[in-house]
Amino acid sequence: MIANPIGFLFYPDRQWQLTSSLDNKHFSRFLLYPVILAFIPSIAWFYGTTVSGWGIGSTEGATRLTPESAFKLIAAFYVTMLISVAAVGYAISWMAKTYGVEASISKGISVSAFAATPLFVMGFVGVYPLLWLDLILGIFALCWSVYLLYTGIPVVMHIPKEQGFLYTSAVIAVCSVILMSIMGGSVILWDNGFMPIFTD
Amino acid sequence: MTSTYDHPVYNYKVVRQFTVMTVVWGIVGMFVGVLIAAQLVWPALNFDLPWLSFGRLRPLHTNAVIFAFGGCALFASSLFVVQRTCQTRLISDKLASAVFWGWQLVIVLAAISLPLGYTTSKEYAELEWPIDILITIVWVAYAIVFFGTITKRKTSHIYVANWFFGAFIITVAVLHIINSLAIPVTLTKSYSIYAGAVDAMVQWWYGHNAVGFFLTAGFLGIMYYFVPKQAERPIYSYRLSIVHFWALIAVYIWAGPHHLHYTALPDWAQSLGMVMSLILLAPSWGGMINGMMTLSGAWHKLRTDPILRFLVVSLSFYGMSTFEGPMMSIKTVNALSHYTDWTIGHVHSGALGWVAMVSIGCIYHLIPIMFNRKKMYSIPMINVHFWMSTIGTVLYIASMWVNGIIQGLMWRAYNSDNSLSYSFVQSVEASYPGYFIRFIGGAIFAAGMLLMAWNLWLTATTENSSNSMEVAKA
Repeated sequence: MIANPIGFLFYPDRQWQLTSSLDNKHFSRFLLYPVILAFIPSIAWFYGTTVSGWGIGSTEGATRLTPESAFKLIAAFYVTMLISVAAVGYAISWMAKTYGVEASISKGISVSAFAATPLFVMGFVGVYPLLWLDLILGIFALCWSVYLLYTGIPVVMHIPKEQGFLYTSAVIAVCSVILMSIMGGSVILWDNGFMPIFTD
Repeated sequence: MTSTYDHPVYNYKVVRQFTVMTVVWGIVGMFVGVLIAAQLVWPALNFDLPWLSFGRLRPLHTNAVIFAFGGCALFASSLFVVQRTCQTRLISDKLASAVFWGWQLVIVLAAISLPLGYTTSKEYAELEWPIDILITIVWVAYAIVFFGTITKRKTSHIYVANWFFGAFIITVAVLHIINSLAIPVTLTKSYSIYAGAVDAMVQWWYGHNAVGFFLTAGFLGIMYYFVPKQAERPIYSYRLSIVHFWALIAVYIWAGPHHLHYTALPDWAQSLGMVMSLILLAPSWGGMINGMMTLSGAWHKLRTDPILRFLVVSLSFYGMSTFEGPMMSIKTVNALSHYTDWTIGHVHSGALGWVAMVSIGCIYHLIPIMFNRKKMYSIPMINVHFWMSTIGTVLYIASMWVNGIIQGLMWRAYNSDNSLSYSFVQSVEASYPGYFIRFIGGAIFAAGMLLMAWNLWLTATTENSSNSMEVAKA
């Protein structure tokens, strides 16, 4: 099975090999993969922000969001995740020609979604938001995803490792630009109707 | 010793001196940075000594990495590139030597006066007026050497890298002189001739263009020579390089007011600064795309050449930070990000990711040439250095992003009775994990410079017939 999150977490090489055997036009069936996986962090963080709650520094008692406010924010979070995966995927397929290959948009999106598996799965830490722990696990998941992208792209695109390194570096640059857009976008949304409402 | 390395046509002596000092000042400046990063985690590390307090060492760190490390890299590369692309020797060896020793004197004076507490309080222009005058003299001498060499060039054409270096030299002179105008009271104390909001505006016109021309235009000059050279390919689009040169210098100079959002600066000036900062994305990315596309065809060299990796990654970080900058200049975003660690993260994605990485790549290219070797003593060591730099930078900026957003959100959080949810100290407390990770990241990056110095030493001192070049041939 190709769209197998366990495989991408524990046997990435085998998983990328499997993916590479597919033809360009057979990738549209994987578009559900991110749609489903993005529920993991969404549900976890909904639980974490409304039930577990969090504290920063030495503040006493936990801060929580009202379920309505959390739902609105998590919905935006879910949509953002899917848009990001799609945007990275589009960039992968758009840049393919520069690196001497052809890749359909659905192939690009599949590759970006598969590589994002550790990030989706690690989103589970949201059930108990603890700043330093989430930070460390988040960085760990991020490194893992970057590693998956670097190892996956040369295999899936059938290009030499060195060419893949350049290709992936360009993709990572796009990813960081998208990340920054999310950071800036969150700040702007915060001021425009997405201000969180805390329980008292 | 130096005479054995002399080149028959070009003046390599001054380039070699600046190359070596780039590595030396890089180590000094970055470890001062690591020390003050550690002070934010363990405040006792200032040992209750005024000379080691954060407020005095921070300007020492910024001056050392920007003007000593970055400056030496720019002097070395520009004086090398101008000779190679004009196919002629520098117009005056004596003047070039005076530039080298003059600049080192400036750095030493800064390293003494800043910890003693002498400062104009202008960020990135803290040095007091006697040193400012010395800088001006050295800079004018540098300009004479550079432009003089261009006027007696043997090629009809002025290569684009020299355009960037030239713009950097002229603009930095203008910025330095205008911003540093002051009325001296004593030898160590002066007052700016500007007052109030005008002083702030002149300061950030200077401050942002120190970034724009010292840390961008100059280093784009480095990119335009060393990227095609190392990739052994022509630049992707020469026309794009000319277009983005003029766009960059026309737009950058207007962006300064975004440092003064929501201050006493008139609102229209703030908005103008924001709009110009947003437009700036286009020329910045023109440069990045040109470099990236040049490198994209050289992938087969990556296996054996870690220097190329430095250049690839530096361009990625350049693209990233030139996107982040315009975004942070948007007033709504700035309202949260300003005064937080996000700004420090942004600066370092530019400073470590772009400026330092492209400098390191260029210096690794220069060292073997300067010491008549075919290549660096150890290529695997360069590879290790590359990974240390990349991991260090990522840890640094990721931790500062998290800290910045936490601080920004905590400072603006209200309770239902409109009182502030958090005190300032609580936001400092919440920043500790980020400060610690930043310290680790910075220490890894700085340690990479030690590896570079060792590799430089081994390259320069190891006599090995297989690795040395015949002087006459070079």
